[in-house]
Amino acid sequence: MWHKISWRLLKQELKRGELTIMAAAIVLSVTAVLALSVFTERLQAGLMARSAEFLAADRVLSSRRDIPQEWITKAEQEGLQTAERVVFNSMAFAGEQLALVDIKAVGDGYPLRGELRVAEQPYGAEQVAQGLPQSGEAWVAAALFQELELAIGDTIEVGRSQFVVSKVLTYEPDVGFSVFTDSPNVLIRYQDLAATELIQPGSRVRYNQLFAGTLEQLEQYEAWLTPQLNEDTHNWRSIEDGDSPLARSLQRAERFMLLASLLGVVLAATAVAVAAQRYCQRNYDVVAIFKTLGANKRIIQRIFVLHLLLLTFISITLGLLLGWLIQSQVIYWVSQQLGTALPQSGWQPFALAAATGLVSAVMFTLYPLLRLISIPPLRVLNRDLTGNNAGRWLHWLASGGTIYVLLLIYSQQWLLSSALFVGGAVAAIILLTVSRLFIRVSRQAGMQAGSSWRLAMAGLQRRAQANSVQMLSFSTAIMLLLLVLALRNELLADWQAQLPDDAPNYFVINVARDDVQKLQQRFAEREIVANDMYPIVPGRMTAVNGVPVRDEVTKEEDGDAADTATNNAEQREGFGRELQLTWRDTLPPNNTLVAGQWWGDDAQPQVSIETGVADRMNLQVGDELEFNIGGSVFTVPVTSIREVNWGSLQPNFFMIFNTATLTDFPATFISSFYLEPERKSELYELFRPFPQVSLIDLDAIIGQLREVIDQVSLAIAFVLVVVIIAGILVLLAQVQASLEEREKELVILRTLGASAKLLRQSVTYEFVILGAISGLIATLAMELALWILQTQVFDMQASIHWRFWLIGPVAGAVVVGLMGRLACGRLIKRNTAQLIRRLA
Amino acid sequence: MLIQTTQLEKEVTTSDGILHILQPINLEIAAGETVAIVGASGSGKSTLLSLLAGLDLASKGDVLIDNVKLSDLDEEQRAKLRADKVGFIFQSFLLIPSLTALENVMLPAELAGAKNAQQQAQELLRKVGLADRLNHYPNQLSGGEQQRVAIARAFVGTPKILFADEPTGNLDSVTGQKVEDLLFEMNQESGTTLVMVTHDNDLAQRCQRVLTMTAGSLVQTKPAATQQEGATDVA
Repeated sequence: MWHKISWRLLKQELKRGELTIMAAAIVLSVTAVLALSVFTERLQAGLMARSAEFLAADRVLSSRRDIPQEWITKAEQEGLQTAERVVFNSMAFAGEQLALVDIKAVGDGYPLRGELRVAEQPYGAEQVAQGLPQSGEAWVAAALFQELELAIGDTIEVGRSQFVVSKVLTYEPDVGFSVFTDSPNVLIRYQDLAATELIQPGSRVRYNQLFAGTLEQLEQYEAWLTPQLNEDTHNWRSIEDGDSPLARSLQRAERFMLLASLLGVVLAATAVAVAAQRYCQRNYDVVAIFKTLGANKRIIQRIFVLHLLLLTFISITLGLLLGWLIQSQVIYWVSQQLGTALPQSGWQPFALAAATGLVSAVMFTLYPLLRLISIPPLRVLNRDLTGNNAGRWLHWLASGGTIYVLLLIYSQQWLLSSALFVGGAVAAIILLTVSRLFIRVSRQAGMQAGSSWRLAMAGLQRRAQANSVQMLSFSTAIMLLLLVLALRNELLADWQAQLPDDAPNYFVINVARDDVQKLQQRFAEREIVANDMYPIVPGRMTAVNGVPVRDEVTKEEDGDAADTATNNAEQREGFGRELQLTWRDTLPPNNTLVAGQWWGDDAQPQVSIETGVADRMNLQVGDELEFNIGGSVFTVPVTSIREVNWGSLQPNFFMIFNTATLTDFPATFISSFYLEPERKSELYELFRPFPQVSLIDLDAIIGQLREVIDQVSLAIAFVLVVVIIAGILVLLAQVQASLEEREKELVILRTLGASAKLLRQSVTYEFVILGAISGLIATLAMELALWILQTQVFDMQASIHWRFWLIGPVAGAVVVGLMGRLACGRLIKRNTAQLIRRLA
Repeated sequence: MLIQTTQLEKEVTTSDGILHILQPINLEIAAGETVAIVGASGSGKSTLLSLLAGLDLASKGDVLIDNVKLSDLDEEQRAKLRADKVGFIFQSFLLIPSLTALENVMLPAELAGAKNAQQQAQELLRKVGLADRLNHYPNQLSGGEQQRVAIARAFVGTPKILFADEPTGNLDSVTGQKVEDLLFEMNQESGTTLVMVTHDNDLAQRCQRVLTMTAGSLVQTKPAATQQEGATDVA
């Protein structure tokens, strides 16, 4: 019986649009969560796939020794694709010329992710390579053509083998960013490797096994493989491990999307909370009538719980449908824009979205529903009676708990959720206090104003308590909107700064000391913007404060590795390779000192180290570092520690010495410069006088970076739209609710003969003031939140956003005022008799 | 006695002290009687009605309905009592806006667990002349029609007592007259006990007994002596 009544009520109320706001709030929360999570999941999967190209695989096992065949067999059994990649240094000969090269021997299937690109001539038009070089052929980087004076079809000698140079290698997905240590690459077939006889016991070779497959396959294999790995010889990598500009951009974008989605979810939940309150208030009379007619509490409870659940289920279904439609449209559009298909998502976002809708509908309605059920039947005679107010703490507990749980489910990071939640709670309390203060102050100011202003101020004051709660939701909505907007601008600006249009797209290395000036002159003549020339002196760091560092090589040669490790617990882990050392008089751009002082004219030997190295090796200002450069050993104190922006496409260094320390060692120079793509043909001419100079083309890498950033920017725009819709819905629900509270008063004023114009104006002013104050408070809170986020979450420079101090209050006043006026206009249009009957 | 009060008092605590809304009231209403309670606004007549109907609780004294003490019942039991024995008509009709005329009338019967709720409701709506309005919603009906639906709702489940609070207060005089006629006609037919609160003296005079409320005290102004027949058969 009760379910029939429940359904009857729902059917007609739905038809008459009385449940629109509540339904819209639930639909929105479901839609937003679904669209955001599906979209971010698919986009992230897409980005991952895209970034996997930087490894040429999904995972790479890197080893100093040959990789056991059974590991590869196991991977193939798991359904993974695999390919070999062996990298080592060697000399290459061509006629009279010789050069140090990186030999890269790759197996069938390489690259598993991404593609190789080749050209028929050095710096000629490139195209995607079909397959790999034939056996006995080699593809060679353009720089080597210069160095060895090669032409296509020539033969180079590597070890005991000869290879015909068949193509110019212009792009390898896994070339990486470590341009300083790389010699030009020579790509050959893995099957040709043995014949070179270059792989001998003790030679420094990197064996890489590439793997690609589904996440599930990879994880399964990873679980099997990891326990067997030896930490010293093996290294298991995925793209997220990198410290490249791309990895950083990705991490930031991910954090932003997560954060913005969380805010979107909170906003949608707030809309549900506001609507739930109204939903229950609307039914006060109905419950009183039910009770008068003899319905007991249990039946009323059942009727309304079912009513709410039905409404929730209908809304959730609608939300899922809408969310799916929206995300598929957006994905389609994004795919069109990017020219790549994004991978499908699983069922989890659907479950997450449905759960969000259900949890917020039920939890936010809990307290209002309890009050609704406790409405006394006497309300039929005395319309001012409402339920008991006891247990308000339950409301705050249920709502707060719900928001926290939603944050937790969505982010799966309890630290971030707790920080956001506690921050939000503190902000709410401050907002509540400040808004009451504001209302009091504005009341005094309003006493001097005209009649509709005075009416508006009086209204504000009278409803101070209700208003400060409303203002809280107005402020929250506006603040979150501003926050997402500002953060988005900051992120985009930051990326833009990292990749300006004239970001260096070539590195030039191996410049002889005598050629530095000549090269700089040539750059100047051709109006090419180049960075400073940095000298490079290869050297090893051998000891800290007199204690030798543990070095991979020494350890490997030491038969008793385990023993050495325990004996030398104090020893620091060294770099295990030669470092590129440089000297300089001034602090390089994009570097900031975090400790110590930069040397001025101080000629005493000293070194400045990078923060990462300082952390990893536990070094401080004042530590004495011992270096070995070509057999010459010396010791210098650390006098400063620098933070380096690795995202900047300029030469960056772990160790910078003052000029006096290194200037007498043999050095080559390195720099980066920007050349417009259409001037590419000038390169050959530009560098002809400097045959030993190598050129590294970054265009491809920059292109990839830009593409990823474009993709992420699109995602951010989408997230922004969802957050804005959520915010507007909150505002709308709140205006509607506040207007209902004003209804009675409006009717009385109307009956007393107040003109429609006066009423409209006073309501509009009231909302304008509410909106403006909310906007101002929101801006304040936004600045604070942004400062915390930028410094703590995004590792960015914090700044004050003066524009928003205007935008916040003005937008608040306009939007809230407009909504109030529209809603009020509808109310005033009804004639007074109708209104009185509504209230009777 | 169907309704009986003994030393019934109601007071509320305000910031200025205790306000006595009802002075001790002793009242007996027999089954089948029609009683009007008149009085100025604020005299306490609606409070009395709410106490008699068990919508509110007395501060002192008792209300007995069918020899059951209301103060012995909890809210659930009072609701059950209303469902079984009491019908209501209000000044502002208090129909549920999202239910049709038929569904509104069915509601009390359904809440009381009646099997033939729909049949009863259709029959009553036909009686009040709204057979062709069964599926209209309250906002599609005129004020008079709404009150007729309310009357039909009040009689569904054949309650022993009918409480009416200014039943014609929101209607123009012509419509009010028609609704009045209908109310008394139906009451006569079913022999229900009617307790009505009103301002309207003419309306009050149609009742067998008129009680006047002044500042919380009750005075009988139209004595039972002038009762019409129909009520006399009850002691």
